[in-house]
Amino acid sequence: MEIILSLDEISKSYGPIKALKEVSMQIPRGSVFGILGPNGSGKTTLMSIVLDVLKANSGTYSWFGKGNHPTERKKIGSLLETPNFYHYLSAVDNLNITSAISGRGNPEDINRVLEVVKLTERKNSRFSAYSLGMKQRLAIAAALLGNPQVLLLDEPTNGLDPVGIMEIRDLIKSLAQKGITIIIASHLLDEVEKICTHVAILKKGNLLTSGHVDEVLANEDIVELAAADMEQLKKCIAEMGGYSSIKEEHQRLQVHYPLGTANMEAINSHCFRNGITLQLLFNKKKSLESKFFELTND
Amino acid sequence: MLSLLKIEWLKIKKYPAFWWMLGIVLLTYPGINGIFINVYQQFTTRKDAAGSFAKMVLGNPFAFPETWHTVAYFSSFFVLLPAILVIMLITNEYSYRTHRQNIIDGWSRTDFITGKLIDVLIISIVVTIVYIATAIGYGIYADTDNLNRWTEQLHYIPLYFLQTFAQLSIAYLLGYLVKKAFIALGIFLFYYLIVENILVAYLKYKKIPITRFLPFEISDNMLVAPAFAGNFGKDAKSGYEAALALVPQQVALTLVLTALIWFCCYKLHNKRNLS
Repeated sequence: MEIILSLDEISKSYGPIKALKEVSMQIPRGSVFGILGPNGSGKTTLMSIVLDVLKANSGTYSWFGKGNHPTERKKIGSLLETPNFYHYLSAVDNLNITSAISGRGNPEDINRVLEVVKLTERKNSRFSAYSLGMKQRLAIAAALLGNPQVLLLDEPTNGLDPVGIMEIRDLIKSLAQKGITIIIASHLLDEVEKICTHVAILKKGNLLTSGHVDEVLANEDIVELAAADMEQLKKCIAEMGGYSSIKEEHQRLQVHYPLGTANMEAINSHCFRNGITLQLLFNKKKSLESKFFELTND
Repeated sequence: MLSLLKIEWLKIKKYPAFWWMLGIVLLTYPGINGIFINVYQQFTTRKDAAGSFAKMVLGNPFAFPETWHTVAYFSSFFVLLPAILVIMLITNEYSYRTHRQNIIDGWSRTDFITGKLIDVLIISIVVTIVYIATAIGYGIYADTDNLNRWTEQLHYIPLYFLQTFAQLSIAYLLGYLVKKAFIALGIFLFYYLIVENILVAYLKYKKIPITRFLPFEISDNMLVAPAFAGNFGKDAKSGYEAALALVPQQVALTLVLTALIWFCCYKLHNKRNLS
């Protein structure tokens, strides 16, 4: 698989504070790569380094396997932290500058991206007259200029209203379906869970885990069951064996099995043979949120 | 290089302060020279002995070719107008955080500083054009008999340009390092208008001959006071000639200082975290 971005032992400190500690990861082409972590975990620092806004103290990174030359950066549509534009210029003039620097897009394309983010009506207004949400939309438009094959988005839904958040999420989904590689940092976990194929979780500058979502989340099988007589059900499952733990909560039984050993058919028929009719039976993937808390809690 | 110029022009051409600066320069350069030519004419048109004495001593400082020198000297007092613009252009990049965005969008750190160098060059050229127009205007107005001598002393044009560029580079360096517009402007005005003048006066009073090495004096001494100044006082003539003799040295020093400023900006910017 082609690697879009690879990081090799990147470290960064601000005086005594270590913002990143020897972080290494690889981002494959076509993935939607979520970078997660609590506030201050180093997400933005990491993105700033690969965009050459910050200099790493040690370690290297490489875009498209070709190093960190500015020409490689031009191919990436980026939104880092805040929308940064010339306050006295209009949306169109600002995008003209983005286009001239990056070589992405042309006048028709500027109109297209402004239409995508619904700023066409205000395209000739000065940036300083924009609301927070409109500024964020313009930043997304700038990232989309010229249909880049790679997008790097840091909290793209910041400052947007609920409708805006939904629109941007749909936009990201549709771009991902077109095969565009998307690197996204967010603390909205359910957002990320809905769209990401890969995740990396950072905490205080340490990379806790990274890889395919299924690999990161599924380190055991979790089966949820419910029946009219919960006591009877619990006894029955315990008799069957093979599990690693059983928990009961909210009138449901949560049974944990070692990865790949839960056999749903066997569980169902075993219960039925013992006179228990199941009301509920499903194989539950661990939610990103619970995994996140499990990893980041002290 | 051409694409950097195009991009910087996109930034400048719709920046209201640029056009304000240009408007004010268009008023002040002819204005300050107009005041001096007015005073001169009031003196020399007097029919008495003082009038003809003044005419003899002063010559006609606004006629060709002296106009190149005189107008350059008086206009150079107002370098602080374009300096304010230069400081705004660099500190804007910090306050809009576009100094980061330009890099994110694909410029190298070197491209960014070259862009700013182009800004300072554009402004220096614009100001020099206003100076040339003013000098020609007053040259024609002051004395039509001397028009055929317009090609003499043309070296004041590059000298004026170099002085403007050198002093605007200092303003740029301040804005680049300080980052905050008002603090940078405050330091610039305080140093340019007060500190260096006091230092010059003090060092001259103490007879310590190092004033010509002060940051603005280095380039100020390329444009010595106009020729007629050499006609006042008993030591004036020799002082004027000594100052003229030092001009080549001052030009060399100015070039070195300016090159050093930009070299430091390039070096620093390639290492800096853009926060």
